[in-house]
Amino acid sequence: MTAVPVELRRRDDPPAATPPTTGVWPELLPLDAGQQYRFGFSMSACIGCHSCEVACAEQNGLPAGTVWRRVGEVEGGTYPDTRRLQLSMSCNHCLDAACLTGCPTNAYEKLDNGVVAHHADDCIGCQYCTWNCPYSVPVFQPDRKIVTKCDLCLPRLGEGLLPACAGACPTQAITVEAVDVEAWRLDHAAADMPHLPSASLTISTTRIELPADIPADTIAASDWSLRPEHAHWPLVWLTVLTQVAVGVSATVADTGDRLTAAALAGLALVGSLAHLGRPGLAWKALRNLRRSWLSREVALFGLYAPLAALAVLVPPAVPAAAVVGLAGLYASARLYIVPGRPSWDTPLTFAAFGATGLAVGPLLTGRSGLAVAGVLLGLFALAANLLRLRGARDVSRGGTPQLYLHRLRAWTGLRLFTAAAALAAIGLGAVPALTIALALATEVLGRWLFYVTVVPANMPGSFWRHTAGSHR
Amino acid sequence: MNVLDTGKRLLGLDHGGDRYRFVDDPVRGPVHESRAAERWVRSTCGYCSVGCGMLLGVKGDEVVTVAGDPDHPVNRGRLCPKGLSEHHILTAPGRLLTPTIAGEAATWDQALDRVVGDFQRLLDEHGPEAVAVISTGQLVTEEFYALGKLARLGMGLAHYDGNTTLCMASAVSGYKLSFGTDGPPGCYEDLELADVIVLWGANIADNHPLLAPRVMANRDAEVFVVDPRVTKTAQLADVHVPVAPRTDVTLLNAILRILVDDALVDLDAARPLVTGLDELLAHLAAQDLDALADECGIPLPDIRRMATSIGNAQRCLVAWSMGVNHSAQGTETVTLLNTLCVLTGNIGRPGAAPFSITGQCNAMGTRETGFTASMPGYRSYDDPQHRRELADLWGVAEDRLPTERGRAYPDIVNAVMNGRVKGLWIIGTNPLVSFPNREVLEIALARLDLLVVQDGFETPTTAIADVVLPAAIWGEKEGTYTNSERRVSRVRAAVAPPGEARPDFDIFLAVADRWGCRDDLFPGWVQPRDAFEEWRVVSSGRPCDYSGITYERIDAVGGVQWPCPSGDPSVPLGGTARLYTDLRFNRPDARAAVRSVTRQPLQQPPGRQYPLLLNTGRTVEHWHTRTKTGRIPILEGLAPEAWLEIHPDDARATGIRSGDLVRVTSSRGVVDRLRARVTAIVRPGEVFIPFHWDERCANRLTTDECDPISREPNYKQCAVRVEALH
Repeated sequence: MTAVPVELRRRDDPPAATPPTTGVWPELLPLDAGQQYRFGFSMSACIGCHSCEVACAEQNGLPAGTVWRRVGEVEGGTYPDTRRLQLSMSCNHCLDAACLTGCPTNAYEKLDNGVVAHHADDCIGCQYCTWNCPYSVPVFQPDRKIVTKCDLCLPRLGEGLLPACAGACPTQAITVEAVDVEAWRLDHAAADMPHLPSASLTISTTRIELPADIPADTIAASDWSLRPEHAHWPLVWLTVLTQVAVGVSATVADTGDRLTAAALAGLALVGSLAHLGRPGLAWKALRNLRRSWLSREVALFGLYAPLAALAVLVPPAVPAAAVVGLAGLYASARLYIVPGRPSWDTPLTFAAFGATGLAVGPLLTGRSGLAVAGVLLGLFALAANLLRLRGARDVSRGGTPQLYLHRLRAWTGLRLFTAAAALAAIGLGAVPALTIALALATEVLGRWLFYVTVVPANMPGSFWRHTAGSHR
Repeated sequence: MNVLDTGKRLLGLDHGGDRYRFVDDPVRGPVHESRAAERWVRSTCGYCSVGCGMLLGVKGDEVVTVAGDPDHPVNRGRLCPKGLSEHHILTAPGRLLTPTIAGEAATWDQALDRVVGDFQRLLDEHGPEAVAVISTGQLVTEEFYALGKLARLGMGLAHYDGNTTLCMASAVSGYKLSFGTDGPPGCYEDLELADVIVLWGANIADNHPLLAPRVMANRDAEVFVVDPRVTKTAQLADVHVPVAPRTDVTLLNAILRILVDDALVDLDAARPLVTGLDELLAHLAAQDLDALADECGIPLPDIRRMATSIGNAQRCLVAWSMGVNHSAQGTETVTLLNTLCVLTGNIGRPGAAPFSITGQCNAMGTRETGFTASMPGYRSYDDPQHRRELADLWGVAEDRLPTERGRAYPDIVNAVMNGRVKGLWIIGTNPLVSFPNREVLEIALARLDLLVVQDGFETPTTAIADVVLPAAIWGEKEGTYTNSERRVSRVRAAVAPPGEARPDFDIFLAVADRWGCRDDLFPGWVQPRDAFEEWRVVSSGRPCDYSGITYERIDAVGGVQWPCPSGDPSVPLGGTARLYTDLRFNRPDARAAVRSVTRQPLQQPPGRQYPLLLNTGRTVEHWHTRTKTGRIPILEGLAPEAWLEIHPDDARATGIRSGDLVRVTSSRGVVDRLRARVTAIVRPGEVFIPFHWDERCANRLTTDECDPISREPNYKQCAVRVEALH
């Protein structure tokens, strides 16, 4: 591991001439071998004043809307024995940080002192970390087009100063502690609380001191504010087009088909750049093949597109293109299967992605029987997923069926209607253009719903700021 | 070059890292470059009355950051979210940059000529009642002192009051009735020293956040919080006492009765200190405890437990805020809290006091120096000696002093309504949002011949003014604030006011100049310090004695508590921590008055048409009518809209779910599209709306019923109906 990355602080200025006067530790908190820093939070001491949030934004010069530390609320009990508990949380500097594992560019680094640091120079703004973190900690910062997050005020730590949040807390509810990493790995129950994703997902290190009298039945203040997520249109097109391309490659019959597959694959690849905050650095996405399914997806589709192109001229390359394309399709689906996005975190995502390729690709190669199976498989995956999530009290699970069946029911209805129409068109032998258009429409609509109906796993939010920064 | 930049931007080669560099600030440590200060200016927070010491970090001609003053005795380096973001108000949009007449930009000369000319004409034509001033609790003391003299002696106005009547007038009246003069007897340290703390209608966690750590640090104390709502503060309590609305008097009578019955008060010790004791004992004896318990909704054993704790306490601090003051019975509730402390010996000792936690940063300053409820230095309008003293000090004829306080704020509004007041000068306050029963106020203000509004920012009230005078705000002007514990702290200009905005002090002197009373009343004054020096002399020997307080002494210790007589070596450098340590009060025979009080029921209790009781209050992210905090994005983001808290039972009955938009109606007005928050923080049958918003203004619903003594409005209870807007 290396030292503190350059962009986190600049050391042009001489060290402090006079001793700093606020938020100073009596002495630097030393780390023994096998220890790391972490936040401690006393829920009994927190008065919900939000000073920590303001201090964090001021310390880091964050623009409005970019929030690294948030205060959420959980409430329960019967009047007058009501309890409204505040949780102040920023990055949990996890032992198994999911942001780091998934990051295709290796922009994250677990420092020796335990801080999960983010290297801005390496970030391409793909936002995959924002899906992976079960606490929705990393946020896409629009003015920089990259993701940013809490670094435990590393520059301040370096001078023996408390992080801004802890230094500002009037009741010292936020502290910084040293924790024994191996012991914590074995027992991290103290990082759990109601409505917070389980600490065992990523071994969150933040120690939360709960009051003794938490009511058995609680709600999060943010539960009411369920709303659709960002659509990620470039990803809608990327996934649908690659799947269709692979569907074509796998059922290819003639030169026209090979041309179609190559065109679609190329289009998808170029289009995917639109998703990135920093498309010029897209090549960096290949840097974490060892751990990141996103890196693997980029590599496999990156290989598939030229293979598909090669196959136009050299037909024997078709099987190779198809195999690489299928592998890419697998990686593409696999990267969505993360605990941070519960409605995607299921093998049904494989079915849903495969179904799209099957529903449209064979229509382009004249195998409409397969297309019928594809459309039906997509509907099955959707229904099975809704059944799986239905009635879950946790909003990140139960919220998805609510979005499909209430808030977005018109779009869900349109999805079903277009699917039925596509099946009818195939059955009645309508002109290929119509069947293809209907099948593509239902799959694009389905994919759009897939993105907007996901409810990110998150800390419990406040009444007003439910999912601050969880999406673009 | 442009093509290159556009290309770089599209490709994202530049991630803006140069905008996110950190520098090592010698005071703060490493910090985002934009917040690194070149110099620091010591000042005091301009929001609430806690009076936190602050350092304003200046770079060039901009305040780029603030820090809690680690050396200030009040907050020891910490601030609340409003304080931590306070520098942003100095660059916020919506500042008034030039005077306007009828909405058109004007010069200062034009505007002041118009104001003075029209006010003089109205006074000539209609007498001294025709023009009134409504000011604020947020100017510096020096400005209040100047304004009081200007309004009452210079302009000769009959009516001058402040928005302080909307927040702590009942505390003032209650202190005056009990002890003879205003002035909270305790101090913040008492929160740390008490063994029983009673917070009565005071949600300090939201509204005075930097007091909460003092209570929490006092781990051995038993903390009672009396509040109908399960506030953040109530949740910090050992015992939350969910008193029914408008039954504080009932609960206090029950507590006093139990204390007497159980011999938990030493009546023999108390008797020589007070008047009215026998009447009180008879009054209490006539009450039925079970009936009292029923009325206030607290089971008798719980009241007994509370009374016993208070009675057995070594040091009991009873602190209150708007839950007590914002009531048609506010004054008498305050006198009962005072009585409770005096009879149990909880006054004049460390950790023991009846302590009003006031509202605005300098409500205390206007109480002391103003010319409203008292004459400057807590002098009485009708005391011949006080009148003589002041006339001599100022070298004016005694008959130039007003003979009575004049109308209080709500009565000025009534006088505007019935045409007696025709010209109104509103300074540093925004009545359209903060005054109860807004519809009536709107009608009244529209009837004025001349409405002059002096403020730092555009507000709903400046929008309807005939003349707008742009004022400097906190951070742009000099003076002092006095906090709830009587501590006087410095306020400093870190930057110049924008445009043509001028400090209120300068505006008052300019008006005096035109009025022809400047040399007479403000001889040789050019800066706030001149007012302060005169005020030191004027306050000398009075309960609020500033004579020993100098700007330099304040600088030495961060803040000095009055009374601080000059040349008295027994007074510590930081001033006098507590009042009445000799148990001699400022009334005849030096005795405190204990008063017998009977609870008055609500004027309009909930009924068939308006079945729910509305409570109004605040949230930590905002200040008053959001003139400042509404312009600070991070605070707006934390609480962007008003909301309605409604109990799950009532929500079920009306088909409301959390997040639904609702309509709230009272017999006075309607608020539409409020977001409902279904929560058991409020009792069944009661709802709550924070009052900070112009849009969805809670004061369209509130009643203008006022306390008969203090004239403070009854903001905390009115009957409403809530409907879902599906």
